[in-house]
Amino acid sequence: MPLDHRFAPRLAMLLLLAAPVVSIDATAADKAKPAADTLVVLPGEFTLSGPVSFQRLLPGLMHDGRFAGTPPGKLAWSSSNPKVVTITDGTARPAGDGQATITVRHGKLTAQARVTVADFAQPVTWDFRIHVQSVLTKSGCNSGACHGALAGKNGFKLSLRGYDPVSDVRTITRQNRGRRVIPNDPGRSLLLTKPTGAVPHKGGLRFEEGTLEYRVISEWIAAGHPAPADDGPRIRRLEILPADAVLKPGTNQQMVVRAHFSDGHSEDVTRWAKFTSNNTTVADIDDVGHVAVTGHGETAIVAWYLSNNVVASLSVPYANAVADEVFNKAPRSNFIDGLVLEKLKGLRLPPSPRAGDAEFLRRATLDTLGVLPTSEEARAFLGDTAPDRRSRLIEKLLARPEYVDFWTYKWSDLLLVNSSKLKPPAMKSYSKWIRDHVSANTPWDKFARDLVTARGTTHANGAANFFVLHRDPADMAETVSMAFLGMSIQCAKCHDHPLEKWTNDEFYGMANLFSRVRFKTAPEGGDGNQSIFTTTSGELIQPRTGKPQLPKPLDGTTIPLDAPGDRRNHLAGWLVAPENPYFTRAIVNRVWANYLGTGIVEKVDDLRLTNPPSNEKLLGRLSEFLVKNRFDLKALIRLVMNSQTYQRSSRITAGNEADLRFYARYYPRRLKAEVLLDAISAATGQPTVFKGYPAGTRSLQLPDSNIASRFLSTFGRPERVITCECERSDEPSMVQVLHIVNGDTLNNKLQSKTNRIEAWLKADMPDYRIVESIYLCSLSRYPTNREMSATLKIFAETPADQRRALIEDVFWSVISCKEFLFNH
Amino acid sequence: MLNITGQGTAHTCDGISRRDFLQVGTLGAAGVSLAELEQARAEGKTDPGSDRKSVIMIFNLGAPSQFETFDPKPEAPAEIRGPFKPIPVTGGGFQISEILPRHAQHGDKFSVVRSCHHTAAAVHDTGHQMMQTGRLFTGGVNTPHAGCVAGFLQGRRTDLPSHVVLPESMGSTGGNLPHGQDAGFLGKAHDPFVLMADPSKKNFRVPDLLPPKSIGEARLDRRRRLRQIVDSTVKDFEASENAKLLDSSFQAAFRIITSEKARAAFDLSKEPKKVRDRYGMSRFGQCCLMARRLVEAGVRCVTVNTFLTVFNEITWDIHGTKPFTSIEGMRDIVAPMYDQAYSALLEDLTERGLLEDTLICNLSEFGRTPRVNPAGGRDHWPQCWSVYFAGGGVQGGRVIGKSDPIGAYPAEQPVVPGNVVATIFKSLGYDLEQELPGPSGRPFPLVDQGTEAINELF
Repeated sequence: MPLDHRFAPRLAMLLLLAAPVVSIDATAADKAKPAADTLVVLPGEFTLSGPVSFQRLLPGLMHDGRFAGTPPGKLAWSSSNPKVVTITDGTARPAGDGQATITVRHGKLTAQARVTVADFAQPVTWDFRIHVQSVLTKSGCNSGACHGALAGKNGFKLSLRGYDPVSDVRTITRQNRGRRVIPNDPGRSLLLTKPTGAVPHKGGLRFEEGTLEYRVISEWIAAGHPAPADDGPRIRRLEILPADAVLKPGTNQQMVVRAHFSDGHSEDVTRWAKFTSNNTTVADIDDVGHVAVTGHGETAIVAWYLSNNVVASLSVPYANAVADEVFNKAPRSNFIDGLVLEKLKGLRLPPSPRAGDAEFLRRATLDTLGVLPTSEEARAFLGDTAPDRRSRLIEKLLARPEYVDFWTYKWSDLLLVNSSKLKPPAMKSYSKWIRDHVSANTPWDKFARDLVTARGTTHANGAANFFVLHRDPADMAETVSMAFLGMSIQCAKCHDHPLEKWTNDEFYGMANLFSRVRFKTAPEGGDGNQSIFTTTSGELIQPRTGKPQLPKPLDGTTIPLDAPGDRRNHLAGWLVAPENPYFTRAIVNRVWANYLGTGIVEKVDDLRLTNPPSNEKLLGRLSEFLVKNRFDLKALIRLVMNSQTYQRSSRITAGNEADLRFYARYYPRRLKAEVLLDAISAATGQPTVFKGYPAGTRSLQLPDSNIASRFLSTFGRPERVITCECERSDEPSMVQVLHIVNGDTLNNKLQSKTNRIEAWLKADMPDYRIVESIYLCSLSRYPTNREMSATLKIFAETPADQRRALIEDVFWSVISCKEFLFNH
Repeated sequence: MLNITGQGTAHTCDGISRRDFLQVGTLGAAGVSLAELEQARAEGKTDPGSDRKSVIMIFNLGAPSQFETFDPKPEAPAEIRGPFKPIPVTGGGFQISEILPRHAQHGDKFSVVRSCHHTAAAVHDTGHQMMQTGRLFTGGVNTPHAGCVAGFLQGRRTDLPSHVVLPESMGSTGGNLPHGQDAGFLGKAHDPFVLMADPSKKNFRVPDLLPPKSIGEARLDRRRRLRQIVDSTVKDFEASENAKLLDSSFQAAFRIITSEKARAAFDLSKEPKKVRDRYGMSRFGQCCLMARRLVEAGVRCVTVNTFLTVFNEITWDIHGTKPFTSIEGMRDIVAPMYDQAYSALLEDLTERGLLEDTLICNLSEFGRTPRVNPAGGRDHWPQCWSVYFAGGGVQGGRVIGKSDPIGAYPAEQPVVPGNVVATIFKSLGYDLEQELPGPSGRPFPLVDQGTEAINELF
């Protein structure tokens, strides 16, 4: 950045008249081409406040209504009144109070920005909260690795990324006998001699003399290093330009960040913002906000400034020549499909065709029930020719008892039902509570409300165990946030969340809602039966202030410390309110990810502003749908399963190989540990025995994760210690493969004398029937002609006394293949 | 396929395809991209000459007393110095306990750090986490074992996995916390291969390494052929990274099942009886021998757990009361077995010219209380203890750091678990300032900012 870039001082509120943001030279539009590009300049209207203010302007072509990058070639800038505003290299600077227009010309296209200059004659003042903190943050002084560390560095401790300016100014001006700031000779202040390397500094050179950074700090010190005024300007809103852009690989794009303050003034803070790209394989961004587009897909550019985040979305369509027809004519069942296709069209990702019936049957059954279709079910479904067979299957699946097992297991993972932390009766009561609600299809908001306000004994009210597992208020707040908002607020426990809007105060406000939850041993029941209740006193102290933080659910409303009643009711009211977007989005995303394999927000436990959804409209509409349907999860599942999006083939269609986020196809994924074990048991007809549970109990029916199973732990069963779906692993590993190949789980089931093979042999089934049955009960499909003939050929070559061994081997080969191990 | 070291010295790694890396690295947020990694390589931040380096981490689960091993305090009062006498080591100007006489003969090969300490809760599990991963687990972030990091960064070197744990993973040590013995946030694909068997047993074999007896080579081969018949119909969903990972895992599994050389590395019957006896026919002794065989065969990291639990087993955990071990149990059973195996390993690696490239680090989760307790034992004490290192560039005969006169606190140059893990990385030739793709794709520093290796060892 050039050194003469200037900074806007604090100024009085300015009111602006509404004016057209962009005016486009109509003559430039080529009427022959309907989608001709137009020119814009961003921001289209702005105010320069004070003599050192400036604004970088971004010229851009608009294509199909979206910002499509800087026009190539020469641009001509001009100001309608250089006595008000000047323009050099695309940067506007004030010259005197008044209004003017800046015009940029590119060939025949022109665009204009309206500028107001105010307070040009006012003296420059630097505000600690805005300007000094900007310098300290962008220079890395208050980063976690330096003075922002919890213990500071070398006796100098600043708040992490400057979230606490009041204590920072005290630290800077009062500690170390005032050597950090010397107003009558600012250049001797440690605050300047250290970062410029004039005296030894472990943190190295941060900025040099003569820079704007140096100027801000030295002039602030010279002005008597004023503390930030209580009524001084605060940041209200951050804006990033362009907020949405479609770019091409190999191109560059400058981003501009504008901060809007409470006194009405705004500044170009690009220089002070910190930038990150969420997907650097698509585009990367450097320290000064310059984007380099490197690949195809989408990424979010996150800009951070003064504890605020703002996100821009960059879209880089794939280099596929796909006719619009492909998207326009693709089948649609409900609104999901339209919104997904719209995204695919924008990215030029052709959708894969519809999955076959066999694939759909297997997929729908595994995703909804966690079991394989039986060979009878497969034969019946594959023989069904009615056009509505898929939606009828969906209805049947939703009514099956295995649905309850599957979803109980899923929520038990999330809520950590585990006998290593809970005594068996309490664990069972917790599990039963979940099961009863799943069975009744209790609306998700009621489920959440009942859980977070649970009281009574842990044996009588299973939900109360939630509080036994999370005994301190901070843990309760974090867990409620993870489980029901899909959001980690843990960072905010120690400092303002650097990636989210949550502040340290909000964390303690949230946690203090739980400070009156109490435990006592229940008089009846014994064996770990505990009673959960709330008292009318007790506060959680916010360590930074040493005072209790007023109870407040994240961005909800505060209640007084002496508010009567259980504070958790206030939390629950905020939590499940339809107006709380996080709650609905989190559950929609979890359900969606269960079916599509990839959340609209990835990961499902990482919802935050700075991690935007891959399809905002889709997540929004699905959330509206769930609210409208009173949090009926079955209604949501029905909608998802009936969509063409869910019913797409997992096979690649030329052009959509690279897609992993936008649902151009169904993404295959390894069966999760329990489902896989149950599938092997079901296919071979040889159930797995779990110690202490009745014969025939499936893994997904186990209430507890604390049951020894080499197979389940090898295949990534979560231990239910951490509230996060990330605790489960579906990644294949060599140890898993060795177990499949040589281990005793599959081999013993195949060798067993009570398995399905034995029954086939007793029934004297011919080879081809046996091969067919193996395929049907494992893969829910008939073998192809090639598979059948290749397999029968081996049968023909095999001596009769080895026939059983061969059948085992054929079975093994089907079960060990990807088509079995994966849901696809 | 990606060869992260990029110098052609490492095998391509099936476990770390470009996409895998990106997937781990960009779970929706800013991650360490391949490009960044490649840039690091271009800038010389990975050491191309490092691919001969291995590490054997001997984890003394239970935690030996520093007084009865490497930091004797003969001048201290009886209730502190304990019942045993110090002896001088050959080739080093320091003393160790008399219960480790064979160690004493190799004072020129290993160096002791006497000022290790940590500040977390004094339960075994926390120390396991910190000493194996360099960090205490907080906020659901399970940091990876140093050996898994090696596998992640460099991939597999031969047909064998890059990280092997012998004989089994750590079991319960009372704290109910994870022990830091797997790949943590790097993902299961980078978990170690765990032997799950006792190599000193007569009928020892690696579980799942060989097919059941009923399935001979011919059937195994038939199964592979049959599997190809089915698998060739679903080639289309190869774009799924996990499907590819499964394929590569199958390849890796079949590679090890069918690789004579890889299988042979696990086959201790190939060792002369004299060699086996030299290590001692204990579980630990034979694990040390196997560690040598594995390193020789190209495994990057072998973790040997001296014990698997502290309950109802004679271990280092000398509380003096049941179900724990007494100080005499340590002298009569644990120390001789340990002394024999370690000295044999040291000698064997030296004779084979492997010590220069193989770091042996002997770690534990904490030390023991300075005062002998009324039961005649010592309890948990994370405030100060000793660890020691040999090989892999470490100079022998040195003492680094110092404890106070009663062995209670570091007196000079305090060392924390992060420094120990950084030392391992340094020996392996890694740039300590590089980043791993952390949870949710956030970049995660290899070691905490500013954490240094114990440079005085080298």
